[in-house]
Amino acid sequence: MNKNDLKVISFLAYKNISKSKATFFVIVAVMAMSFLSITFFAAIIDGLGYEFEEGMIRGLTGHLMIEPSADSRYLENADSMVGKIKKIPEVVGVSKRVEASAVATHKTIQLGVPIFFVNPDDERQVSRFSESVVLGDYLSRKDNAELIIGTDLVEAYTREDDAKKSLDVTVGDTIQLSFSNGMVKEYKIKGIFKTGSQFSDNNILINYDDYEDIFHESDVASAILVALPSRGREEEFTRKIIDLGVTDQINPWQSKMGKVKQFIGSLQITNTITGVVGLFTAFATIYIIIFINVTNKRKQIGILKAVGIKKEIILGSYVLQSLIYGVAGVVIGIIAMQGLIALLTVYPLSMPIGNVVPILTTNRLVTTAITLILASIVAWFFPSKKAANDNILEAIFGG
Amino acid sequence: MNKVIISAKKVERIYSNGIVRTYALKDVSVDIQQGEFVAIMGPSGSGKSTLLHQLGLLDNPTNGSILIDGEDVVQLSDDTRTRFRLEKLGYVFQSYNLIPELTALENVYITPMARGMPEEEYTAKAKEMLTKVGLGDRMDHYPSELSGGQQQRVSIARALVNKPKILFADEPTANLDSDSSADTIRLFRQLNKEIGQTIVMVTHEENEGKQADRIIWIKDGIIDKAKK
Ligand SMILES: Nc1ncnc2c1ncn2[C@@H]1O[C@H](COP(=O)(O)OP(=O)(O)OP(=O)(O)O)[C@@H](O)[C@H]1O
Ligand SMILES: [Mg+2]
Repeated sequence: MNKNDLKVISFLAYKNISKSKATFFVIVAVMAMSFLSITFFAAIIDGLGYEFEEGMIRGLTGHLMIEPSADSRYLENADSMVGKIKKIPEVVGVSKRVEASAVATHKTIQLGVPIFFVNPDDERQVSRFSESVVLGDYLSRKDNAELIIGTDLVEAYTREDDAKKSLDVTVGDTIQLSFSNGMVKEYKIKGIFKTGSQFSDNNILINYDDYEDIFHESDVASAILVALPSRGREEEFTRKIIDLGVTDQINPWQSKMGKVKQFIGSLQITNTITGVVGLFTAFATIYIIIFINVTNKRKQIGILKAVGIKKEIILGSYVLQSLIYGVAGVVIGIIAMQGLIALLTVYPLSMPIGNVVPILTTNRLVTTAITLILASIVAWFFPSKKAANDNILEAIFGG
Repeated sequence: MNKVIISAKKVERIYSNGIVRTYALKDVSVDIQQGEFVAIMGPSGSGKSTLLHQLGLLDNPTNGSILIDGEDVVQLSDDTRTRFRLEKLGYVFQSYNLIPELTALENVYITPMARGMPEEEYTAKAKEMLTKVGLGDRMDHYPSELSGGQQQRVSIARALVNKPKILFADEPTANLDSDSSADTIRLFRQLNKEIGQTIVMVTHEENEGKQADRIIWIKDGIIDKAKK
């Protein structure tokens, strides 16, 4: 194979493609659509999984969750710890929480509810509650005897067929909370929030100051949540927090996923299976189209051989064509996919678990792109190799 | 003028389709001189095309030997035969067999291009050939935009552009009207006279055969010695 051969190869490939533009567009469109169909579904699933995790992170765990070691119930000196961690550069937010439970009473309904006592300002940087208020207002710094409540606890927002009990309340109503220490207190509902995550929407948030009033303990926390600039930097920041002298458990969000992990794991298995099936389907489609196309070129291949064009050049020109088809299809597929993602980022799919934005990982993009291009090359290679090895006379005169 | 350029000895070509064996050529020996214009004639199915394909390296005999320009071409590898065709042989087929994706000009220059000739040179050569066959004004037409006679002239230009040692033609006029047919044969005759082009042509037309230097008659896969 020398430079001149490459010239003839490119010349033949160019002529073949430019002389059958319709075929070119059909094949490229099929490849692009295959790319889209494989990656789009996967990206939605990935986005769904991401959103699911995000619901946990932005509701229950933060990126890092500092918890008391096994032998103690609370973190002590929570405020100074929060203050110190906040000073670590790039840390987005730090918030202490005390988790408690109470029995909520409204009219005749009694309901056990989980409570987070939080500092409303700190919570803004760590969780989604502040931005998820659908009715009324978020907690403010000085709130006393006011709470915000998740939609899963509010009858107006729960589905009728939902077997769980809920409270027939709205903003402005008063409910009674009985705490484990026997304390009973009336609270006014200041706001109703819906984060979209089932892990958060069945909670009640109350100002941390109230916790001190009710339990007469201060400066404690059942957990401190740390929000980082992005996922994937958990270890780095864990080290920085340890360097501050924190001896409590520092758990990355991943270790808190439990059921979510299984759920997402099964999503990913589904994803892999549909991905493989999709690739096979795409491969078969591409193979058939290209096979027919190359079969139609059998005579051309025969003539080229008859007039003395060597096999390597003929094959080379077909491999080059397949590369061009493959790359063009994949590139257009990627552009269309990025367009779709951009569109869905602006107008996310509103799913029950929250707003899902499709996520196309580089890994999946590259795998799909390479597989499709390879599929295209294989689909061209075998039929054209067969044609190039065929008896010249049969190829030309159709035996 | 009397150098033997093709020497075929006891050439046999059997087609086997499963259990059916067709003796297309049984035992054909011919010598063709350099600069000779030879016509191959005979009834339909007698083996004319088969013989031309053996001599033109488009097929392989099941037995016998063929020397072209002193080289035993039957023994050559596939790749070497391909190069041999590119460098030494030219073909004109009954059904033109142009490449539909290439223009007239490109159809003609694809082989010199493959031989590594520089672009200006092969373009000039192809233009010159097309002008010679009277298609100077149709060079950028695709085969589908040309009449049968014009396509045949493109294929003649393609066959001659590399100045082949031998030009093979299988019923080059079968699809042409009588004027175009006469033109084609006249062109062959002229090439043969002017540059000493060796031509081996299969034909059904007796008057075409008569214009050749010699007629080789074939019947049932063997040389028909009864005809002269
Ligand atoms: N690929 C093939 N497989 C089987 N038999 C074949 C094949 N090609 C040709 N034949 C047979 O070989 C014999 C000679 O065929 P050939 O094409 O050489 O005849 P021809 O003299 O060129 O005839 P025509 O004048 O009709 O073109 C015929 O009997 C034909 O049926
Ligand atoms: Mg014939």
